[in-house]
Amino acid sequence: MNKTTARLGWLLASPYLIYSFIFFLFPLIWALYLAFTNWNLIAPDYETVGLQNFIEAFFSQSVRAAFWTTYKFMLMFVPIVVAGALFLALIIHSLPRLKGLFSVGYFLPYLASGVASAIVVKGVLSYNSPLNIFFRNHLGMDINWLDSPILAPLMIALMMAWKFVGYYALLFLSGLESIPKEIYEAAEMDGAVGWKRFWYVTIPMLYPSFYTVTILAVGLMFGIFTEPYVLTGGGPDYSTHTWQLEIYNQAFEKLNAGYGTAVAIINSIVTFASILVFRKILEKWGAKHGWE
Amino acid sequence: MKKKGFVQMAAALLTVALISAGCQNADKDTGAKEGKSSQTVTFDFWAAPNPTQQAFWKSMADEYMKDHPNVKIKVSPMPESPSSEAGIQSAIASGHAPAVSENISRGFAAQLAASRAIVPLDELKGFDELIEQRNMKTTISSWEFADQHQYVLPIYSNAMLFGWRMDILKELGYQEPPKTYSEVMEVGQKLKEKYPDKFLWARADLVKPTWWARWFDFFMLYNAASDGNNFIKGNQLVVDDQAGVKTLQFFKELQKNDLLLTREATDPFENATSIMVDLGPWTFPYWAEKFPEMKFQQNYALSLPPVPDDVDPSKAKTFADTKGLVIYASATKEQQQAAFDFIRWVYSDVKHDLDWFKQTNLPPARDDLSINEAFVSYLEENPQLKQYAENIPNAIPPVDNEKTVEIQELIGKEALTPVIKGQKTPEKAWEDMKKAIDGVLK
Repeated sequence: MNKTTARLGWLLASPYLIYSFIFFLFPLIWALYLAFTNWNLIAPDYETVGLQNFIEAFFSQSVRAAFWTTYKFMLMFVPIVVAGALFLALIIHSLPRLKGLFSVGYFLPYLASGVASAIVVKGVLSYNSPLNIFFRNHLGMDINWLDSPILAPLMIALMMAWKFVGYYALLFLSGLESIPKEIYEAAEMDGAVGWKRFWYVTIPMLYPSFYTVTILAVGLMFGIFTEPYVLTGGGPDYSTHTWQLEIYNQAFEKLNAGYGTAVAIINSIVTFASILVFRKILEKWGAKHGWE
Repeated sequence: MKKKGFVQMAAALLTVALISAGCQNADKDTGAKEGKSSQTVTFDFWAAPNPTQQAFWKSMADEYMKDHPNVKIKVSPMPESPSSEAGIQSAIASGHAPAVSENISRGFAAQLAASRAIVPLDELKGFDELIEQRNMKTTISSWEFADQHQYVLPIYSNAMLFGWRMDILKELGYQEPPKTYSEVMEVGQKLKEKYPDKFLWARADLVKPTWWARWFDFFMLYNAASDGNNFIKGNQLVVDDQAGVKTLQFFKELQKNDLLLTREATDPFENATSIMVDLGPWTFPYWAEKFPEMKFQQNYALSLPPVPDDVDPSKAKTFADTKGLVIYASATKEQQQAAFDFIRWVYSDVKHDLDWFKQTNLPPARDDLSINEAFVSYLEENPQLKQYAENIPNAIPPVDNEKTVEIQELIGKEALTPVIKGQKTPEKAWEDMKKAIDGVLK
């Protein structure tokens, strides 16, 4: 590479580098520093407090709740959304025409505002909604959807699954479209038809899509904010209290910016570690089916 | 080669960063210098992110600038990213705070004051005259902070009241809302006998951890039971134990008798699912649009919160949902005084308060609101607002502690929610709450 080419490369890359420096690298370094202080962002002076913020976070009931709630959401959301997206993709894939139209239709909830969707869900689940009136009057069931430590997270997980299932279905659909017909023909000659064909051919061939969708879904669980903020405020008994709610409460409600940043850093580490574990599990599964 | 390229790139990035930082400071200096050289004081005024309030302040600023050509006021809505408090916090942190803003609650003001981000208004020239001119001596007396300074000038004060479905109360044989706990329980009992599916009070927030929700449930009833006893003074918990336990006991009784609906419900009071509601005057424009059938004294009435049986209901206090103006320490002395002069000018004319009241429906924080002639005809046209106006002196503003959020979270977590869920007795809940709050205040 000659000097001119190298300079041109740097020049072309510079907008992204400058952007990353200003909006990612600099804030990251600043956050790392802030996490070791007791600054609230508005006081003229503050002190460095060493590891105190991290130690407090480690023993905090609400941080521990956020940690476990995330995995609880994951247990509910990931299987529902992966299975739902795959099912949807298979249906769209099997359509003789108008595939594009249906794909866009199912993708629309992804574009809807989280706040607006949450308010609609709140109305649907409210005590005097037609749904609950029907349950009470015809089935004799009075269900407290948002004040039960099991139902409240499940409702949030279902709502998020509704929002993301169309988007993930598009990823599965592209995976389905990319499976060569010859593979199915060969499998058929070997006697793999119907359920066997789906289980032993389609599913392993969709590994790249599974990988992408699962990692995206797992990562999403560490960033939940709007839905519990609008629907439950993190309750009941912290059962829907997430990392982002904790960070928001600390940094912007209680003005504990230093502590909030420490929680955010712990959140990043937990997110990174969890995704790494899921990656390893998925890669092991992929390797079993020839995806190295 | 590679190393050299990287060093060159890093230097370039650093230069860009320094130039942009330099530009930022240069802008600021230029602004200040311009203000000095031309003798024009320019300052930013952040209005609440509510169109009616913005319109009011914009018209005030325009009028003021006509008579004061040496003052330039830039009125803009405060950013809500993700809340107005967070917007102000970011603005202070980045050095872009305005000189003055409205929409500041007492709790947030305490946080700002503790961080020396706002200035004591009583130290500015003309403060006493303003209080006298606006006739707000009694109202502002409860706003004094623990350090004996006034950091907020309350603009409006909503003396929170309870709304009662008069149509249903009449069906049950009552001509006015109940005033004591026993009377409320009696109404509740009759309600359940006639309408087993209805509730006395529908409020999902009662079992939610939302800290500010405590203003509209716990504090309304605690202030009524305790004659407006200070909850916290400085860094000391000075609660009225007897009143606190009685308040919690009342919630327990309501829940035990199936009179509370603690689940999300859509417009439960308007749909008569419940017959009592914590009500602020901001609801009336909503009703006018969505529920025109809601008519004052026909199907609803207003009352102060009920009190324990041994308390005189006529002396009941309530919670004041109130917000005000603050002046930021980051502004120059010149800007601070200019901003304060503008505020003084606004409140020197009662007509401006009337305009505010008409435009926003928020009762001006004045002692004479219910008797001043300027407001009489407006209050006669809007009788539902009259009770709010009359009760301004009975309304207690939020606590002035910088740990307000933590304290109110603990009221919910340790006391209110467990009592309503039957997990604690009122006595134990009260003691646990006190212990937890003491821990926060240390």
